[in-house]
Amino acid sequence: MLKYTLKRLLYSVIILFFVMFIIYILMYNMPSGYIETKARELASRPGATKSYSQWLDDLNAQYGMDKGVVQGYLIWLKSAVRGDWGDSWAWTIPVTQEFHNTVWYSFILGLIAFVFEILIAIPLGIAAAKKQYSLLDYATTVFAMVCISMPTFFLATLLKYVFSVKLGWFDLSGMQGRDYINLSDFGKFLDVAKHFVLPSVTLIIISIGGLMRYTRTNMLEVLNADYIRTARAKGVPEKKVINYHAFRNTMIPLVTTLGGSLPGLFSGALITETQFAIRGIGYASYTSMTQADIPFIMFYLAFISILTLLGNLISDLLYGVVDPRVRLS
Amino acid sequence: MARYDLNAILKEMDKNKVKDENAEIALDDVSRVKVLSPGRQVLKRFMRNRLAVFGFCLLATMFILAFLGPLVYPYGQKQVFYKYDTQTINYAMAKENASYTAFAADPSVSVEKTVSTVVNSTIRGMLSSGAEKAMLTGEEKVYFLEKVTDEIFSLEEADAQRVALFGTGVEPIGTYSQISKSITFAGKTVPGLEDYFKANVQGLSGTFEFGGATYSYGKGSQPKTISITLPFDGVLYTGDDMDEGFEAALTAAAGSADEFSYNGKNYYLQKGGNAYTVYAVGTSKPAQVYSRLSADSYETGGKVSEELICAALMAGEQGGSVTAEGRTWNVSIDGEALIITDDAGKEYAELSPFTVRRYSGEDSMAYDLKKAVAGAIEDMVAAGKKETVLVHDIPRQDENGKYVYDEAGNLEHEEGELHITQREVGSYVIIVDQTIFLIDRYADPSRAHFLGTDGDGFDVFSRIMYGGRISLMVGFVVVFLEILLGVIMGGLAGYYGGWVDMVIMRLVDVFYCLPSLPIMIILGAMMDAVRMDTYMRLIIMMAALGIMGWAGVARMVRGQILSLREQEFMVATEATGIKVRNRIFRHLVPNVMPQLIVIATMGMGSVILTESTLSFLGLGVKHPLATWGSMINSVSSASAMAHRAYIWIPVGVLICLTVIAFNFVGDGLRDAYDPKAKR
Repeated sequence: MLKYTLKRLLYSVIILFFVMFIIYILMYNMPSGYIETKARELASRPGATKSYSQWLDDLNAQYGMDKGVVQGYLIWLKSAVRGDWGDSWAWTIPVTQEFHNTVWYSFILGLIAFVFEILIAIPLGIAAAKKQYSLLDYATTVFAMVCISMPTFFLATLLKYVFSVKLGWFDLSGMQGRDYINLSDFGKFLDVAKHFVLPSVTLIIISIGGLMRYTRTNMLEVLNADYIRTARAKGVPEKKVINYHAFRNTMIPLVTTLGGSLPGLFSGALITETQFAIRGIGYASYTSMTQADIPFIMFYLAFISILTLLGNLISDLLYGVVDPRVRLS
Repeated sequence: MARYDLNAILKEMDKNKVKDENAEIALDDVSRVKVLSPGRQVLKRFMRNRLAVFGFCLLATMFILAFLGPLVYPYGQKQVFYKYDTQTINYAMAKENASYTAFAADPSVSVEKTVSTVVNSTIRGMLSSGAEKAMLTGEEKVYFLEKVTDEIFSLEEADAQRVALFGTGVEPIGTYSQISKSITFAGKTVPGLEDYFKANVQGLSGTFEFGGATYSYGKGSQPKTISITLPFDGVLYTGDDMDEGFEAALTAAAGSADEFSYNGKNYYLQKGGNAYTVYAVGTSKPAQVYSRLSADSYETGGKVSEELICAALMAGEQGGSVTAEGRTWNVSIDGEALIITDDAGKEYAELSPFTVRRYSGEDSMAYDLKKAVAGAIEDMVAAGKKETVLVHDIPRQDENGKYVYDEAGNLEHEEGELHITQREVGSYVIIVDQTIFLIDRYADPSRAHFLGTDGDGFDVFSRIMYGGRISLMVGFVVVFLEILLGVIMGGLAGYYGGWVDMVIMRLVDVFYCLPSLPIMIILGAMMDAVRMDTYMRLIIMMAALGIMGWAGVARMVRGQILSLREQEFMVATEATGIKVRNRIFRHLVPNVMPQLIVIATMGMGSVILTESTLSFLGLGVKHPLATWGSMINSVSSASAMAHRAYIWIPVGVLICLTVIAFNFVGDGLRDAYDPKAKR
């Protein structure tokens, strides 16, 4: 087990090395003049702390943009490994500080969506599988498909149109109400919570479909297995068959998938956060991406890649933990 | 290869069986089994799946809409629509001329600027004092301003010489500089004065005698200078001395007249303080005519030449015939105005103190309109009101403010309400609700435009159809790329195994890990920065999406091939010595076809989603090409979103339906190919 884990970790590091290399090449090949223009723009902003050449020097020092691709990549890797990610261009504070400022909003948003997703999708998926080809089954399948096929930006716009414009229940976007400053601590909490409702609903609807289908498929498979037929044949009550024998076995693939998606809670929801102006890491990264903020983009992409690899690793390891039949080697 | 059609044989057997109809069919009778070909079997299973059929119908509709719809729909995707609308504009202004304008009587005579700037104030002075003639001295020349009527004054350049001063006054002689020790004379040089002054005069002020006259001197205006003046009482000649007869004539004229003649010469007296300056006046040339009247041609936009205006003005109160431009004109008087008719008796122009012009100052209004406006203003002033409305035909204008002409080249007119408002005394502004031609932006849904028009005046429904074309095309191209790359890489990895497999699968891992949406956003921002052509963007976007999406296909193909290559038919291909390339791509890959078709169908849906997301963010396909995402983007601002729901909701629903349809069909195909497969 330990050996397998170490081996997988090593693989992950190698993959990460090449992933970052590809991303670095992309950054390195930014159109000539683009970076310079952005740096000049940045230096001429009111309250600029660094001059044009200072920004470029910083960039060259950390990212080796003035060297060859491979050499520059190694320079970047060296400073990145030491935790030196430089100053963000779009936010004009150290990248890591901007990360700390934003990631927790994303995490909260992701966590809310994750919990509700599990609470809604798994029971619905199981209910659909219990009565295959029933009306409920069809309804669930269609609903799941609609959720999967819904473009995030359209759903967000639709929710805003219905609940903000037509009904006026929520603000269009942002994280705080107009008189946030005058509220008590609890009032502030409620205010922010209210602003998180629509983004959370968006995320839940978007993610619910996949999990629902997955649960249904797995449950159907388990229900067709021999041991369920055996259990029914020997007279075990249907309730117990479903809740005890079938559900436990359905949980095996579910736990591994859900465990694998845990790191994703930190990755932020780019479109949703941008649409609702939630200052999470997705929003920050989108702003950075449109402004050629190389330090923050490199950091964000590295972060996302690590989360993806971590997710795969966790999911594989969990498979071995949950299902004793699986021997990891 | 001979075909062995089981169904045909069964039918044949059925025919033979008719003879013994009553014979009992045995349990193992071959006619009990109906055999379908694999393809028909898949089709049958697919048709049984209601959702899949629904999805298929939806897709068929979508393709017809996107690819055939534009052929029959009357509008193109880049066709801009216009409409007529009314807009309140400052159409014209009218005013009573307060100042006198110059018309050049003789363009060869130039008038000094110092003179022309004071003409208007001199005229006002003359009008209040009742003087008939005034003299204006420029830096080099002298001009006479003569009154013709109260409205008309003529300015003449005179050939005049200063000859004498008369009365009591002081004539400046010159300035003595204490540094250069010399005198700079103001007028004519007095010989010997400089030497006398240097030799005999001391101190900063006082008087001295020289040549029979008493000069006085004092501190000059500049430092270290002394100004020398000659006080006089009586006549002081500035030029040559004259005889006593002149002096007598001058004394007689002073105080009573401006002019006198002596010895056949004319002299003019200009009063300044207690003294008169006497000028000898020669011939004078007419230079300009000043008048409060301005010319309006009867012909719309016609220009009356200054020569004619001057001639008509000089005809003055009496009117009569004048000659200008080599023709004879007749000038008659109509109240304050002068009317010019040509030699044929046709009215040509009118000179009046009331001007009506377009608000831009352009003189392009028809005469009858000007006349109507002037009349309305007159009535309004007479009634003591400050506002009035006049209904009159006015020329129609297009969206650029240009006049609209009909086929015969005549101006198109329409009736308009002219609102005349007094701005200040004698000045009026005319406001019109004029019909103009402009881009039909954000038109509501109507019979002409099913879903209205968007912010650029494009028809939304036609944009939806063309947008669907691009979205579906992007889906096809990207999926084709993904499959191509995936099959090649996956096939190689699966067939060869070993280190090839190792390398390719690590590459797959790397591409699996690449965050594709952020990378596409960065690419889009970069293409924005270099202002890339919109078609080029489309190609780059499709290539990038394809390159980032092949990993999943490769993984699937490899997995299938790994299990397939151990089967007997592969041993057979090896035994028959078929080339490796053919073994992979003609024997292994076709066996993966069902899975490939499923993965391609599902992939189309997700590619369309990604593309629309990118276009929505403004980083995908750009204006003027339409895509569904960019159409929603164009109305994504808070206000547009609230008020233009009829644009973005249909588009969003279409995206959603298309993706759903692809997913349903993909699901249905998977179930149909392999009913037992794990979903």
